[in-house]
Amino acid sequence: MTKVETTAATAKGAGTVNEPVTPGRAPVEPGPRRVARVAWRDFSMLIALVAIFVFFSIASPTFVSARNLSNLAVELSITAVLALGMLMIIVTSQMDLSVGSGVGLFGGLAAVLTFEQQWPAPAAMALSLVVAIGVWTMMGAIIVKQRVPAFIITLAGLLVFKGLHWLVIHNETIPIAVPGQENAYSLLTTYFVPKLAGYVLAGVVVGSVAWMRIAARRERLALGLDVEPAADTYARVFLVGQLVFLFVILCNQYRGVPLPAVILGVTAFVVWVVTQHTRFGRYLYAIGGNEEAARISGIAVDRVVIGAFAAMGGIVALTGFMQTAYSGASTTTVGSLMELDAIAACVIGGTSLRGGRGTVTGVLFGALIMASLLNGMTLMAVSPEIKLIARGLVLAVAVWMDVRLARS
Amino acid sequence: MSTPILQAEKITKRFGAVTALRDVTFDLRAGEIHALCGENGAGKSTLIKTLSGIHPAGSYDGRLLMEGKPVAFKSTKDAEAHGLAVIYQELAMVPEMSVAENIFLGQEPMKRGLVDWLTVVERAKQLLQRFKLDIDPEARVGELGVGQQQLVEIVKALSKRSRLLILDEPTAALSDTEVGILLDILRGLRADGVTCVYISHRLEEVLAISDRVTVLRDGQTIETLETAGLTQADIIRRMVGREITELFPRRATAPGEPMLTVKGLAVRRPGDGKQVLHDVTFDVRSGEVLGIGGLMGAGRTELLMHLFGAFGKRTAGSVTLRGTPLADPPHRAIERGLVLVSEDRKRYGLILDRDIGFNMSLSSLRAVVGPAGLIREDAEVKRNQAMFKSLRVKAPDLDTVVGGLSGGNQQKVVLGKALLTQPKVIFLDEPTRGIDVGAKVEVYELVNQLTAAGQAVVLVSSELPELMGMSDRIAMLHEGTVGGIFTRAEATAEKLMAAALGHTSDERVA
Repeated sequence: MTKVETTAATAKGAGTVNEPVTPGRAPVEPGPRRVARVAWRDFSMLIALVAIFVFFSIASPTFVSARNLSNLAVELSITAVLALGMLMIIVTSQMDLSVGSGVGLFGGLAAVLTFEQQWPAPAAMALSLVVAIGVWTMMGAIIVKQRVPAFIITLAGLLVFKGLHWLVIHNETIPIAVPGQENAYSLLTTYFVPKLAGYVLAGVVVGSVAWMRIAARRERLALGLDVEPAADTYARVFLVGQLVFLFVILCNQYRGVPLPAVILGVTAFVVWVVTQHTRFGRYLYAIGGNEEAARISGIAVDRVVIGAFAAMGGIVALTGFMQTAYSGASTTTVGSLMELDAIAACVIGGTSLRGGRGTVTGVLFGALIMASLLNGMTLMAVSPEIKLIARGLVLAVAVWMDVRLARS
Repeated sequence: MSTPILQAEKITKRFGAVTALRDVTFDLRAGEIHALCGENGAGKSTLIKTLSGIHPAGSYDGRLLMEGKPVAFKSTKDAEAHGLAVIYQELAMVPEMSVAENIFLGQEPMKRGLVDWLTVVERAKQLLQRFKLDIDPEARVGELGVGQQQLVEIVKALSKRSRLLILDEPTAALSDTEVGILLDILRGLRADGVTCVYISHRLEEVLAISDRVTVLRDGQTIETLETAGLTQADIIRRMVGREITELFPRRATAPGEPMLTVKGLAVRRPGDGKQVLHDVTFDVRSGEVLGIGGLMGAGRTELLMHLFGAFGKRTAGSVTLRGTPLADPPHRAIERGLVLVSEDRKRYGLILDRDIGFNMSLSSLRAVVGPAGLIREDAEVKRNQAMFKSLRVKAPDLDTVVGGLSGGNQQKVVLGKALLTQPKVIFLDEPTRGIDVGAKVEVYELVNQLTAAGQAVVLVSSELPELMGMSDRIAMLHEGTVGGIFTRAEATAEKLMAAALGHTSDERVA
């Protein structure tokens, strides 16, 4: 088991190393030395991931059990969805420290509406989602129109939303469903895709990836652009296919693919399309790369940044529902410090804090490192004190590497 | 005659392929006020930087002698130790600190290991009194007017007991009264035996204060003259004097209807609220190149940036684009057919760590977006490739990161981005700054193509030959307003320079 998982991790990391070859046009690094540096950086992250897996599977054999890997998939999904929202914020060289509190607040709001007000769960979540988008749009507007640094506004948000969260749940534990019953809210983390459907889903995903890769390659060839060797494309598709099926097989050994993994897949696909194939996405990178040039180039900078915050609001609510459902109830600690995990996942995945740089694949990889670390420490019954210290150190090291890479 | 306090012998300074100074030779007599005159880009700033150690010894050819002995300044500190101080155009003061603190910044008198603040204030007070300045040494510098700040800066330089003072455009920000005070200070210093190098575009000041004038042109010393008996015209002729060659292939097209009309425009700078433009009136017709000239700080860039919606608050006047009022932010201005190529392409033009395709597309993505809101990569790449080829960008392909390109190729990327918006009016702010001659001619050819296609071009340039060579009409700005508009036939370098300096001559055509 250990061996299989390690291979999977290696394969996943290898995909990240070669990331610049996405369909369409991807940024090309100037000169081989830079490529070497980036590769070195990704490679060191890969080693870290392998080390984490090896260490935890030795220290706590249950780490690689099907049951725990299924849990890890849920935890990864929650962290990664939030980090994908954070990616869009950081790419514009903004920052959002309030997302953890927001996760608690909007998960809590939906819980109160469902459990105490007896709203249908979907309606409760829909309202919560709309309010979250509204609140984040407002924060974005204050940041760009009033020129208050995002760091401060969202730090204020961190406190305000935490306070509101506690008010909304009046410092109690609010279950998301009547105990013993299920609703759309609780199913978020307790629903598993039936085993056969899981395989079908995997087939569809792999088929689409293959089709997209090959279509993009054809398109580039037709335009007379450089393409990677055909063998690379097929190897890549084959690798993705293996990973996806391996994941489904592992999940099916327990109860099937957990719903959050599907939510993550959809979110990652949407964020990838938005960042790589829409004007809005291009503008995010342009603003982060050089805000003044972006403005002179005719980008409505304010509107785009507010848009990024609005998207973050939606993602905060979505993460809130999953995280609260995973805890089974809204408590005062749900969402605590999640902003730091999201930021760490972005930075570990190569998102530059100065803006303009960052990929969906990188963020998924970074989230996997953070989620594995937290999951492993929980299994080993590491004390909360040490867990906090470890999280802090990982964040510090990741940012330090980001800064060093920028300097060199 | 006694030994000159400073001699520059055959100073040649190159930046890569560009020669900024070529065999510059001149000398400063002890206790004189020596003016340096020249157009923008003539090499004045480079010369100062060479004299003051910013360009350290070894980075240039030729030699410097102080009182007959060769010197090699490795840094500004080194130059200061030899008694040489420079006062730059941009102020180098800490606005949050007091006048006294600023004057003694970095050389605070100490007493038992602590800064002796009483002495600081006392000595600042003495210095200010000596120069008859009515400034409170304990006032915060930020509270003073720009002119007073400039005077404090000069006092600061003098507190270092400099023997040789270089003043770069010291009066650019001063009122007439303050200019008077400054000139009095300089005369006082001359009486004390301090030597001054005085750089100013205001020729009346040059004539009033200096003992001798050295004219620089194209990085070379043209002539050093005794001031007595000189006229402004004498200096202007030497500053300009050169032929306009075939470097400028302007093919005029018959101008059509007015595209952009500006009437009585006045603009304030946000922040300090300074009136940077006033009573600006001109129009540009389709198929026409309107050149805009003027000295540094005359408001050329501010004018373009304002028309493009990226700068300042309009306090008076009107701007219309083909008859409809124009007051839009850049993203709307582009939709309405305006586009700006900035003078500072690294700051306002390019996303440096992105590739050519990304940058070229940025202003015109709307045109390649498909029905689902997704960018149609094939359409985008085809369009970019066509532009890449027609501009002859020298790079392997569209995926090349722009940060690594030469200045000329970077400029082509910015131009490509602008052209892809299919503009009606294109603002070019110093489009040939820092690019080689070959690329320059290509830019000029592009201007010809644009006007032939009926587009209007507004060309800002600080090089008179470029303005005269490429414009159909030329508007010269002087301190934020139009000092004169000349047709191509009327324009002579002397007339343009006179208009830029604010001299209204009889030949002026409004």
